[in-house]
Amino acid sequence: MENIKAYIESGVLELYVLGDLSSEEALQVEEMASQNPEVGDEIAAIELAMENYAMQNAVQPSSDVETKLFEKLGIKEEEDTIIASSPYIEEPRIVSLDSSNGKIRTLRFALVACVALLVVSTAALFITYNKLNDAHDQIASLNLDKEKFAGVVSQLEFENKGLDNMVAMNDSKEWATIRMAGQPFSPKAKMNVYWNKVDKSVLINYVAMDLPKTDEKHEYQLWAMVDGKPVSLGVFGKTDSTANEALQKMQTIQNAQAFAVTVEPMGGSVNPTMEKLSVFGGV
Amino acid sequence: MTALKKLTLTEPELVLALQSKDPAVLKTLYSMYSSALYGVISRIITHTELAEDVLQETFVKIWQSAAHYDNTKGRLFTWMMNIARNLSIDKLRSKDFKNSLKNQDIENNVSFVDEQNKVTFNPDVLGVKQLVENLKPDLQAVLDLVYYKGYTHVEAAERLDLPLGTVKTRIRLAIIELRRSFN
Repeated sequence: MENIKAYIESGVLELYVLGDLSSEEALQVEEMASQNPEVGDEIAAIELAMENYAMQNAVQPSSDVETKLFEKLGIKEEEDTIIASSPYIEEPRIVSLDSSNGKIRTLRFALVACVALLVVSTAALFITYNKLNDAHDQIASLNLDKEKFAGVVSQLEFENKGLDNMVAMNDSKEWATIRMAGQPFSPKAKMNVYWNKVDKSVLINYVAMDLPKTDEKHEYQLWAMVDGKPVSLGVFGKTDSTANEALQKMQTIQNAQAFAVTVEPMGGSVNPTMEKLSVFGGV
Repeated sequence: MTALKKLTLTEPELVLALQSKDPAVLKTLYSMYSSALYGVISRIITHTELAEDVLQETFVKIWQSAAHYDNTKGRLFTWMMNIARNLSIDKLRSKDFKNSLKNQDIENNVSFVDEQNKVTFNPDVLGVKQLVENLKPDLQAVLDLVYYKGYTHVEAAERLDLPLGTVKTRIRLAIIELRRSFN
């Protein structure tokens, strides 16, 4: 009997129940159990303990497993499954609270990710839209600047041409410069006339004049005073015009003692309107 | 209690029906024991899909080899449990399982990681958990390895760097504690 007790206490029966013995060792245990009721009872007690332990640590598998299993074995769902008494009827059904279904969880994460993506996309779109608007505004203001600069450049070109001509005329010595000064009608006005001593041609330079603006129905007319009588040399346009050449050729005059400019109706007059005499200068 | 539609049979009735290949008995067997068996399988194999595969394989094997069960050698549950444990350990050591660890695709990863760190809040288990936690840590370490992780006692001895005899004694002491708590 001492041997039996030692055998039980060796722990081999627990390993037997846990399926942790070689088949030879297991056979020895079974032999011992059949010969000694004490060993058999001990095994039964261990089995019951492990069974209870397993029951209490149960985890509910997903219902898919049952469906697949019976499909695989070709067993149809039957309502009239056998119900009978058993010690386990007292036990409440063990349902794990951890019913996390991997697929549903995955889908939930996917949904959250989609919503987050949507929000980010919308925000990005909104920001991009604002930037595009800013860019449009910038392009518009840059265009405005460009036009302004183009205007300035053509104005500068125009003036430069006029100045070049003035320099050239001064150098050649063929040209006489007549400076005309402001008269009571427009005291601050001044203007130059260039008269060629050789071929008697007359030029005016828009750059070299400072006349007040005329209204739309009037323009300036240049006169030469020949022996006390005014002779028309032609009309010229607005002083701020940049569309024309800087230089304008007027009619030639063989002989003149002075030059004058008056304001006349469009097209010019036969005789000068002396009340509107703007500038006057002698040769 | 009748409201609880728990399908149950006594063990001799179950064995008889199982060995006569009555299809209805498998349903009963499944409803009685699937979660208990799955409790052990899912602690050995933490990957849910693979663990459920093993549970299915376990019941297929129970169904196909019912004739080999000998009730003089032990309880039906012990026999089923050993089938479940052996299949789990085979799966754990198979190529299949090792590949599945390598090939975790990204969408399964969250639940996979989750499973790896599984905390089961099973109110019915709390008492037992409490008891197991009251076990001395050295007893619990051995029981965990052999019962939950599918180690053999030889492997557990190597892992814990203990003599084989000590491991055996500790398994026995742990189970005696369990027995005491169920009485």
